Amino acid sequence: MLARPSLGLLGRIVAIILLTVTIEFAASTLFYERAGEFSIKEDEARRLAEHLVIVRRLVSERPPAERPAIARYLSTDRYTVHWQRQAPPPRTLAAELRNMRDQVVDWEPSLADSGLQLQLASPGRHDIVVGTITLPDGTWIDFKMHGLVTGWGLRLNRIFLALVPAIALAVLGGLLVRMTLRPLKTLGEAAERIGRGERVVVREEGPGEVRNLIRAFNKMQDQISRMITDRTQALAAVGHDLRTPLARLQLRLDGSADPDLRNASEADITEMEEMISSVLAYLGGDSDPEKPSRIDLAVQVATLVDDMADRGHAIRYQGPDHLECILRPNGFKRAMTNLIENAIHHGTQVNVALADWPSSVVLSVEDNGPGIPAHQIAQVLQPFARLDSARSRNTRGLGLGLAIVSQMVEREAGSLRLSNRPEGGLRAEIVLPKRAAAQT
Amino acid sequence: MTAPSILLVEDDPPLRTLTARALQENGYVVRPAATAPEMWATFEAGPIDLILLDVMLPGTSGIDLCQMIRRRSEVPIIFISARGSETDRVVGLELGADDYLAKPFSTRELVARIRAVLRRGGIEQRRTTPSDKAGFDGWTADFSRRELYSPSGALIPLTGAEFDLLASFLGHPQRVISRERLIEMSRARIGESSDRSVDVLVSRLRRKLSIDGRPAPIITIRGVGYMLNTPVSRS
Repeated sequence: MLARPSLGLLGRIVAIILLTVTIEFAASTLFYERAGEFSIKEDEARRLAEHLVIVRRLVSERPPAERPAIARYLSTDRYTVHWQRQAPPPRTLAAELRNMRDQVVDWEPSLADSGLQLQLASPGRHDIVVGTITLPDGTWIDFKMHGLVTGWGLRLNRIFLALVPAIALAVLGGLLVRMTLRPLKTLGEAAERIGRGERVVVREEGPGEVRNLIRAFNKMQDQISRMITDRTQALAAVGHDLRTPLARLQLRLDGSADPDLRNASEADITEMEEMISSVLAYLGGDSDPEKPSRIDLAVQVATLVDDMADRGHAIRYQGPDHLECILRPNGFKRAMTNLIENAIHHGTQVNVALADWPSSVVLSVEDNGPGIPAHQIAQVLQPFARLDSARSRNTRGLGLGLAIVSQMVEREAGSLRLSNRPEGGLRAEIVLPKRAAAQT
Repeated sequence: MTAPSILLVEDDPPLRTLTARALQENGYVVRPAATAPEMWATFEAGPIDLILLDVMLPGTSGIDLCQMIRRRSEVPIIFISARGSETDRVVGLELGADDYLAKPFSTRELVARIRAVLRRGGIEQRRTTPSDKAGFDGWTADFSRRELYSPSGALIPLTGAEFDLLASFLGHPQRVISRERLIEMSRARIGESSDRSVDVLVSRLRRKLSIDGRPAPIITIRGVGYMLNTPVSRS
């Protein structure tokens, strides 16, 4: 696979910042420039043009000594006029109103050689137009006029409008960063799913660092899964291979004359066989992964209960005669068998109940045994768990019983709860969500 | 009647010897074989009543071997396997094996299975295809997998004894079967709850076959026995 050249995570974020700053800069410059194109009240502009012509003529006709006075005389509330010998200092923070100047010159061609300059004083704050013209003798008139530019209200509105691109860009930048980081999010979700035992191949995408991470992640996943498979297969092979010598042992015992020895050893062989099958069940090494299929759970539970009752145990089933579910039949049968055997082992009276709720199926197994100390309930669900109390010492097998139940129930997306009954004994409850397909 | 001869295919020498000895002590003629070629040689040499076949053999696997045997012969086959899972059992039965025995097994169990398979071969018609199915009243019984499916297609778990009982009914639809005959037929296979009275088995089977308030199609003929009162279609 050809690696697409990539900027890298840092590069991308820098590029995003650069992009937003550039666009913001361009937008505000454009906005500032646009101040020169503010719509101007046309009649006001004409009056300004006429006024300027008159001011220029009247002021230039007077001797310099009278000029400040005539300038004052020509000033009104809206027009302020000053005569001065030198050019006024340039206004640094003023926008040129070039369009307006051209229009004024257009109307009054006599102003063409006057060096007319029009500026918007402090755009955004006041709608004040300031300007200068020169007199034929090289002196200057500096003027100020209110209410010439309408624009867009030019106050809060303009601040708000200036904020719009900034906000839009911040949102855009956020979206771009999020897009850049999306592969990381996918990776996080994949990691979670893998933790639940699924197999997920994450597509390699995004910036270079992230792609490297995803590649390493996929590879690691392969390695872990291969490692687990290897070990499971090795253990399964040991389990299978152990059954042959066990079979030999069993057949040799059958030929032995001593019935005590035979019975005792047969029990040992049975226990060893149970250990092997529980390890194989826990590791899934004994069969291919089972697929969920439609099964009558009520019949299955009743069959297991009947079987135990036939063997002389005090066990009762309460629940419907039929209840169809979609699950992995053998795995779930094993889970139920383990729960029931556990209950029979620790109690003398066992109640198995199945209830059909609108959104779930609840299977419970209750015994009247000693229960489990509350602080050890979580512990017994761990594989190879053996409690120190009396409950564990007479437990056969490897302590995988409840761990297998937990595993099988998890595979069906259900939950397993253990609790001590107030009247004594343990209650194990499996809650299975009803899948859409399970509804008939 | 001469002693039945059994072809034993097992690659582990001590286990082969021990199994052979156990079978001989129970009156069978045993012809041991360690590999597939040896098995074929013995198979050609003389009539065989039953084959005990280890699934995990070096070279050709027992599963392939079973299929090859089935192409040539209807001789009963019992699989012996170190893999004890339900899936393996079903696969074995689907491939045409008559029974499936998980290691470790006792002499008692081994002999009982052999007897049951041999007797079944005598009593019932040998099936012609491995995927033999029967339909009745919307239900489907799969004889090779020994499974029952409800009209809606759900697996209805049955014990071995319950399935044998159902098979007996399906073999004689719409005819009264006496309790004694049912006991005899259902004994063709030893298994779980073999000492359960037929009446208990029938009542359990009825409960499993009654769905949506409809009674099961098995009726009691007072003083005589039971009858499956629905037609059966074989496929």
